[in-house]
Amino acid sequence: MILQALQELFTPLSLLAIFIGTTSGVIVGGMPGLTATMAVALLIPITFALEPLTGLLLMGGVYCGAMYGGSIPAILLRTPGTPAAVATAMEGYPMTQSGRGGLALKVSVVASFTGGIFSAFVLLLIAPILATFALTFGPPEYFLLAILGLAGIVSMADDENRLVKALISGLIGLILAVVGTDPMSGMLRYTMGLTDLFDGVAFMPALIGMFSISQMLELTGAESIVADTSKITRIKSEPLPKGIFKPIGLGSLVGTIVGILPGEGATIAAFLSYNIARRRSKNPKLYGKGNPEGIAAAEAGNNGCVGGSLVPTLTLGIPGNSVAAALLGGLLIHGLIPGPELFTKYGVMTYAFILSLFIANLVFLVLGLFMAPYFARIALTPIALLIPVVCLFSVLGSYAMNNSVLDIFVALICGFVAILLQKTGFSLGALILGLILGPIAETGFAQALIMGHGSYAIFFDRPQAIALWVIILLLLVPPVYQIYKRQRAATTTGTTPENSMDE
Amino acid sequence: MTKRLAEFFILSLFLVLAVLLYGSTASYPASVQGSTAMYVRFLGMALGLLCALELLLWVKNRARAKTEKMQLAVAPVKFWGLLILLVVYACSLPLAGFYLASAIFLPLTMLLLGSRKPLSISLTTAGVLLFVFLVFVKLLEVPLPEGSLF
Repeated sequence: MILQALQELFTPLSLLAIFIGTTSGVIVGGMPGLTATMAVALLIPITFALEPLTGLLLMGGVYCGAMYGGSIPAILLRTPGTPAAVATAMEGYPMTQSGRGGLALKVSVVASFTGGIFSAFVLLLIAPILATFALTFGPPEYFLLAILGLAGIVSMADDENRLVKALISGLIGLILAVVGTDPMSGMLRYTMGLTDLFDGVAFMPALIGMFSISQMLELTGAESIVADTSKITRIKSEPLPKGIFKPIGLGSLVGTIVGILPGEGATIAAFLSYNIARRRSKNPKLYGKGNPEGIAAAEAGNNGCVGGSLVPTLTLGIPGNSVAAALLGGLLIHGLIPGPELFTKYGVMTYAFILSLFIANLVFLVLGLFMAPYFARIALTPIALLIPVVCLFSVLGSYAMNNSVLDIFVALICGFVAILLQKTGFSLGALILGLILGPIAETGFAQALIMGHGSYAIFFDRPQAIALWVIILLLLVPPVYQIYKRQRAATTTGTTPENSMDE
Repeated sequence: MTKRLAEFFILSLFLVLAVLLYGSTASYPASVQGSTAMYVRFLGMALGLLCALELLLWVKNRARAKTEKMQLAVAPVKFWGLLILLVVYACSLPLAGFYLASAIFLPLTMLLLGSRKPLSISLTTAGVLLFVFLVFVKLLEVPLPEGSLF
């Protein structure tokens, strides 16, 4: 069957579909506000006129390309093309500022490729087994998974003072996520009568505001993004940093696992991979200042999500995330019902689709490696031209998500507030993490309490939940201990923790 | 204003938010008092406690604190100018529509930020608007803000 699938795949039309899909995906993913979900959903009507396989290949290519494409503006302009690229922006942009944007792009494309290939292998080999495991997760486990993601907030803090501020930032994010409709009763909360807020504060405009608009406002006082522009010309010769494949491997694994869990998205995968890589790194202090390891883990994580999210989609008809849901719509329209039949009766088409993901990853790898030096030259654009254009796309991106003018104001307010918070030592990363994970945490928490008749024991009485608690503790204890140790050392020597860190 | 004072104001604001949030859960329906209301109460309580702790640390470290000035922008005219232009741009979108509003916003911002070459300003503005038209409107069929005046 796989040989037949390969035959179907290696036809000029199929290869062209993959190429066009992937390239369009990179472009769509690279534009703030245009997400992979939107691109796949827009493609569905187009695929009506095509053969089912060609349509699927096109959609698969867009999915893979968009997941990578989001990292390009995140690295070069601190404007995440997709929410999943926020963690990449946190490390990639400082690298661009120091003239190493080309290397950051190279690391990003290699990590995205590895994560994508790994997850496609998992999808090809053990999809049905993993899908069954994912189904054992219930609301308590989803709540704990959100807590696992939020544990990253602790890692974003350097000392006791920053820890409290990072936690406050995370809580503000969680509180912002409460705005909208109550998931249990359908009651409207804190919407101030604005219909655009009924679905909550859209996180893409918030992201664009906090990362892109705030950065453009900051850049008004600079001459150029890069301090030393001569470094841009040295991009081609810089090799991949040593030891980069460790965070890539870690990100690929975490991304695939998170992707398999229904409803969990690439954003969580990227943040979780980033956080774990940071915890395991020999140089955690370099994180946030332009560490390629962070880009590697985050990008491998969000691309690992692609294959992972297709596991429950193809085997059980439960989409792993919103893009997979759009893709599922495409499958159903062509009469392909997820389940065992997809791997038997329609096996040739299904395997051809899975195998096409390998080619799509290869397409964006070549595209990314070849184009990285040219992309990086964006950093040389004069600020007076760059800022207005990025601001325009930020406004457009904020509007395009829900066709809402209110979202533009959300982005502008978030941009200004982000500068205030950053200047006073609060953590934007933690705030975003809270905003993204808030709905999952709230729904999981509320549903679990209803299931457990109000008893908190439900969060501890299943092996999956216990395993998640252990992982949470493993992630929390070392950073908290480190902060305590630093605080004690600082008290003994009579310096402030910040000074002792500098020393 | 010093950075420390700004910190104090922000923390006080968050503290008030925490109290209001906690109090607001009383108006939640009885059916969710044990679920989502509980969650929101927890958030309010946690935020309140952390803000109080941070304020305590603020008072404790007051003696050795640096009186560093809070500098929002390196170039205040450009910073505030851009912010005002962005707000005006956002307000004008539903009235003038995307193309007209953008055709004014882009050159004005470029001028504000120091660009003085009419050719590059015109070409960049035209190029960006053409790109948006071809990719967003024609290719992806993304709806753009439409003006109510024209």
